[in-house]
Amino acid sequence: MTVLEMRDVSKAYGQGAGRVEALRQVDLTVGAGGMVAVMGPSGSGKSTLLTIAGSLEEASTGEVLIDGAPLSRMSRNDKARLRRRMVGYVFQDFNLLPGLTVAENVALPLELDGVGARAARAAAREALDGLRLADRASRYPSQLSGGERQRVAIARAVVGDRRLLLADEPSGALDSVNAEAVMRLIHEACKRGMAAVVVTHDAQLASWADRVVFLRDGHVVDQTAPLPGPESLLTPGQTS
Amino acid sequence: MSTALRERPAPAGAPGHGGVPARRAVIRWAWRLLRREWRQQLLVLALVTVAVAATIVGAAVATNTPPPASAGFGTAGDAATFQAPDPHLASQIAALRHRFGRLDVIENQAAAIPGSIATFDLRAQNPHGPFGQPMLSLVSGHYPERPGQVAVTSGVAATFRLKIGDLWRQAGTPRRVVGIVQNPQSLADEFALVVPGQVTVPTQVTVLFDAPGVIPSSIGPNVQTPHPAASGNVLNPQTIVLALATVGMLLIALVGIGGFTVLAQRRVQSLGLLAAQGATDKHVRLVVRANGALVGILGAVTGFVLGLAAWLAYRPTVESDAHHLIGAFQLPWTVIGVALALAVVATYAAASRPARSIARVPIVAALSGRPAPPKQVRRSALPGLVLLGGAAVLFAYSGMSNGNGSGSLELVLGLVALIAAVILLAPACLALLARLGGRAPIAVRLALRDLARYRARSGSALAAISLGVLIAVLVSVLSAQRFGNVLDYAGPNLASDQLIVYTPNGQGGGPGNGPNGPSGPVTGSKLAPMAKAAHDIASALGSHDIVQLESASASLQHAASGRTWNGQVYVATPQLLRAFGITASQVSPGADILSMRPGLSGITKMQLLFDPKASPGVGVGPGTGNGPGGNGPGGPDSFPCPKNQCLANPVIQEVSALPSGTSAPNTVITEHAISTLGLRAGISADGWLIQTPNPPTAGQITSARLTAASAGLTIETRNSIPTSSEIINWATVFGIVLALGILAMTIGLIRSETSGDLRTLAATGASSWTRRALTAATAGALGLAGAVLGTVAAYAAAIGYAWNNKLESLSELSSVPTSSLLLILIGMPLAAAVAGWLLAGREPAALGHQPME
Repeated sequence: MTVLEMRDVSKAYGQGAGRVEALRQVDLTVGAGGMVAVMGPSGSGKSTLLTIAGSLEEASTGEVLIDGAPLSRMSRNDKARLRRRMVGYVFQDFNLLPGLTVAENVALPLELDGVGARAARAAAREALDGLRLADRASRYPSQLSGGERQRVAIARAVVGDRRLLLADEPSGALDSVNAEAVMRLIHEACKRGMAAVVVTHDAQLASWADRVVFLRDGHVVDQTAPLPGPESLLTPGQTS
Repeated sequence: MSTALRERPAPAGAPGHGGVPARRAVIRWAWRLLRREWRQQLLVLALVTVAVAATIVGAAVATNTPPPASAGFGTAGDAATFQAPDPHLASQIAALRHRFGRLDVIENQAAAIPGSIATFDLRAQNPHGPFGQPMLSLVSGHYPERPGQVAVTSGVAATFRLKIGDLWRQAGTPRRVVGIVQNPQSLADEFALVVPGQVTVPTQVTVLFDAPGVIPSSIGPNVQTPHPAASGNVLNPQTIVLALATVGMLLIALVGIGGFTVLAQRRVQSLGLLAAQGATDKHVRLVVRANGALVGILGAVTGFVLGLAAWLAYRPTVESDAHHLIGAFQLPWTVIGVALALAVVATYAAASRPARSIARVPIVAALSGRPAPPKQVRRSALPGLVLLGGAAVLFAYSGMSNGNGSGSLELVLGLVALIAAVILLAPACLALLARLGGRAPIAVRLALRDLARYRARSGSALAAISLGVLIAVLVSVLSAQRFGNVLDYAGPNLASDQLIVYTPNGQGGGPGNGPNGPSGPVTGSKLAPMAKAAHDIASALGSHDIVQLESASASLQHAASGRTWNGQVYVATPQLLRAFGITASQVSPGADILSMRPGLSGITKMQLLFDPKASPGVGVGPGTGNGPGGNGPGGPDSFPCPKNQCLANPVIQEVSALPSGTSAPNTVITEHAISTLGLRAGISADGWLIQTPNPPTAGQITSARLTAASAGLTIETRNSIPTSSEIINWATVFGIVLALGILAMTIGLIRSETSGDLRTLAATGASSWTRRALTAATAGALGLAGAVLGTVAAYAAAIGYAWNNKLESLSELSSVPTSSLLLILIGMPLAAAVAGWLLAGREPAALGHQPME
């Protein structure tokens, strides 16, 4: 089942001589349980693709559908609700809210959606437990390591049974061990049925994905299945 | 195609915006942010705290200083006062008892204090009476319980050196002192309390009773009801304090806009993240607004506690000054409640504008931490100008009714329109500044353009500065206008080292004597002992500088509408002129009047009223004027008046050496006029002006008063009315300090937004000189624009008020407080620029991007 569908999406910034085409006629489809890695040089439109897919920005032309619903027909509030209920974000620089504890950060999308504080906190603890962060629940983000913060950000992105996870360089600020751990977590989320789009410039990490999309100057220049990645080593039957 | 999403079902009862749980989560986060970043909000917090505390103390003092409305009534609704002895007194009291039931009868007998003109009351009152209990309280001992016992006030005890247990023989009657008492509603009330029936010859009897629903005048002309000061008068202490608190909170809100804008900018990344997590625009706005409201609540609570503590500490002083006891929590709670609410509303409103702006920042831009580029707002100055004109018209309507008590509504509406006009005109002024600075050096040009670009915060700062200047200039201009009126002269009565001893002919008159009192004018043999007493008083004060003040049967009159002549016209005796260093050659031979009132010689339609047949001590004055007498011919419309009683257009010579006090001989009639008009026979001695080497102390004044009273004289010393220059100086200092304070608080906020530009400038080779020049130009330009806008608005209000005003005419605005205006218009911007230059050595920290965890 298709979770994210981008049809002929283009995005331009500015006008006249200052006009910049960030995305040009991009088509992308991600099904439930699928994990797509987006690669490309700086300025190729990777982050723009992600922000448009997540309704943070509007496409100049083309159509984006999440779970079959076109974003262009949604109001700002509808998009906000969509982000609360269906789309989870993971940013390179973690972007946890200072002043909220780990549990409160994770519970935030649920509380914003009207879930009572107690229930939201319980769901958050469950998500944190899954990421082996339950003992960090009452700490503040400033008291965590980089890897822990990113795991918390993933917990926030998956809490509440979201269907689409968008990650922009989720391992960009992490060392290789933590980077691998983060990708593993995203991969596990996909195994549970989430669709994921991960922007990365690291081919090693991209190998966790089912499919790699290459962008250059806003165009999709190539789509390919990645080489067997490290996860294949863990899968019986594919080790030979 | 349907847009329905197969998404997680919404929680039961949760609306599209997440309902209460979402709001609670957002407010919780705002509170945590406030706790984390309270230092950045200290400015607004401190302003709110101080404003609330000042409002509480100010309101408490203003409302508790006047005597309580129930003073003299106890708990009664009505009081009948009878002067005794009165043969019908008993029957009148019986009639009241028959009609209204319960009564409380208080009998007073005035008793003299030996060696003093002061008196005290021998009072018969039941301490447990039905109505009079609040008028009595026991300090120590007990109330008198039977004849032969007395309780005295501490003043009486001190005067007669009494203590509890003493036997006091008062007017031949021995009584045992059993207690010290006081009248909580009037601590200046000195009396000796005895049991009812012990005052044998009452001089005054007060009957307290309740007559609900009965018009007092229908009971009798001597019946009164308590009359609260606030009732019937819109401009009472409570409304004045509330108005001041409102203006103060408005200033805070204007300053707060800048603070909250910077704060929102610092949090732009976090707010972007919140939106990315599914927060709606409403949620994002709520974060900033909740922060504002929380700052207001915190400031209000802190200010309330501080204000209450300050009031409790200051209360004894107020009680002493106001001469009545004040309950610790006898506070105008309505005013305080409104002030607390205003504090929260002000900060909430101040945060609302940045909240709206920050919610409009695109999520991706917010997430990147890039501050939103300033929106080019092209607002017309027309609404501001229209409001300014409207305010002037409203003030004109208010001024038209000056003197008859109406016009308050127009005044209030005018003030509101004026404030709104200043707020609306402030951004336009910044745009104008930027345009004017088009050819200025780069640093100044850049500073002016930045002010215009970032109007969200610089506009509100400018409005706050302008309002501060407006208040100062308005006070200065109106003071100069009022004090500049040479006819109805205002200001202190005397210099602090001057004292006037009046004969019964004089302004004050003696005890029991007016100019036409029963004992007649003071002449010849009566004058000698009085003169001796006056000289004794002067000697006691260490002065030999004593001048006899004489008056003729003459007074000045201005035969036109507006303010009338006010003041005594003394005779310019050679002794008086010599005392002030005025030689005969300095006096023009044809001058009728000498005056130090500047501009009096240029007033048209002046006339000198006189009565050559009058006896000494009989005043002459205009029929409707404020002259010293009241039996003169003509009125303000009759010009010229009859020649045998009036000299039209007398020759007035201005002599600045004469003293300036309103009671001092600031205007004198010359020997020439006395001779020409034949007023010699009517000259009388009004008193003596004593010039002391040092201002007399309170003890010396009391002693002088007692000496004067014993000789049938009265004295007048310096009153507490400030001079025009004192008022203007204080207003100027207030305006400048307020403006500089606002500048100090906001200039950092304004420049912080352009810190990125500063770094760019530094990278392109700009030195610290440029950085200093930028800040100095920003501060100076804001100061100058605020000074000009505030002054223009103040003059618009003043001109409007004087436009059709019968008392304060437009021409009186020619009394310009020049030095005050120069200080405000030039000194303040200059000081701001210099301070900006000196304090701008360090590059401000980047504020646009605050890293998140």
